[in-house]
Amino acid sequence: MIDELAAPVALEAYLLGCVDFDSLLSWQRRMVYEVSGDRSRGVLTLCELPPMISIGRSGSHKHVLLDKAELWSRDWPIHWVNRGGGCLLHVPGQLQVFAVLAIDSLGLGLTAYLEMLHDILLTVCHECDARAEIIPGRAGIWSQGRLLAHVGIAVHEWVAYFGAAINIDPDLDPFRSVHCDGSPRPMTSIARERRGLVRPAMVRQRLVELFAERFGFPRTSIFHKHRALAVPQPVHTLAYRSA
Amino acid sequence: MDTPPQLRADLVLPDLGVTDVIVGVWYARIGERVYHGERVVEVIINGATFDVTAPATGTLIQRSVVPGDHIKTGAVLGAVAADPE
Repeated sequence: MIDELAAPVALEAYLLGCVDFDSLLSWQRRMVYEVSGDRSRGVLTLCELPPMISIGRSGSHKHVLLDKAELWSRDWPIHWVNRGGGCLLHVPGQLQVFAVLAIDSLGLGLTAYLEMLHDILLTVCHECDARAEIIPGRAGIWSQGRLLAHVGIAVHEWVAYFGAAINIDPDLDPFRSVHCDGSPRPMTSIARERRGLVRPAMVRQRLVELFAERFGFPRTSIFHKHRALAVPQPVHTLAYRSA
Repeated sequence: MDTPPQLRADLVLPDLGVTDVIVGVWYARIGERVYHGERVVEVIINGATFDVTAPATGTLIQRSVVPGDHIKTGAVLGAVAADPE
């Protein structure tokens, strides 16, 4: 009787601004633990990160073309993470898509989940009129040979976490300094491939809707903050350096 | 002393839907205690990592593969000597 009255499970979508990477990883670990216990839950986190480089299991320090002094002067810390995929430069204008889902409860295998994740990202790109494609054998969404959205996930006890990073309208020049996913060509963006402005809010909205639709969540609960997620404090670079 | 066969639990690579799977990193050393469900070895496919977890609580007694090895579904990656009930 209680089960009949219970509301259908909702996808929990966190639409956040810029968050601190370490607190995002802590938050993700907590969500993986919680979803492992209640496998009907799904948590989608959309946010931005301060400029930094993350390196997944297929990445290498060689893909970062800057020496330590240059990284220090740009204030780009490097984080080694346990996701798939290679190097990724995080910059403002790039949306992080972190999804924590029990894929076995969704009736999916690992490759089926990856295919659905790619398909969601590709759909969003096409809805924005951006030229985009999937290249067989290579993770991510590509456009004209340049990476547009990076995909890298990790799976523990069939709970998937991490996800993707999609360039909406970042400054693309910094990508010349990092070979994202090992590709020597700099990343591109939706704005560049559609040759016009993009509404980031619309991209976020469609991602939430597509995740709910494709993974069978009849409802969506949207949140805009969580106590566990710290917002990075703006630092005046010169003042910080001279301190 | 050899582990009785009934207490030996193999770490087996499940079907991930791909043919090319690479061993990433071992999280436990031989002789180390592991717990059921704890990640013991991580494998890598294109765009993803996957934790192979301990099939039983006990001691890791064998590591059959090393990082960089290419493996297939059903491959035995190692073994755990399970605690007697």
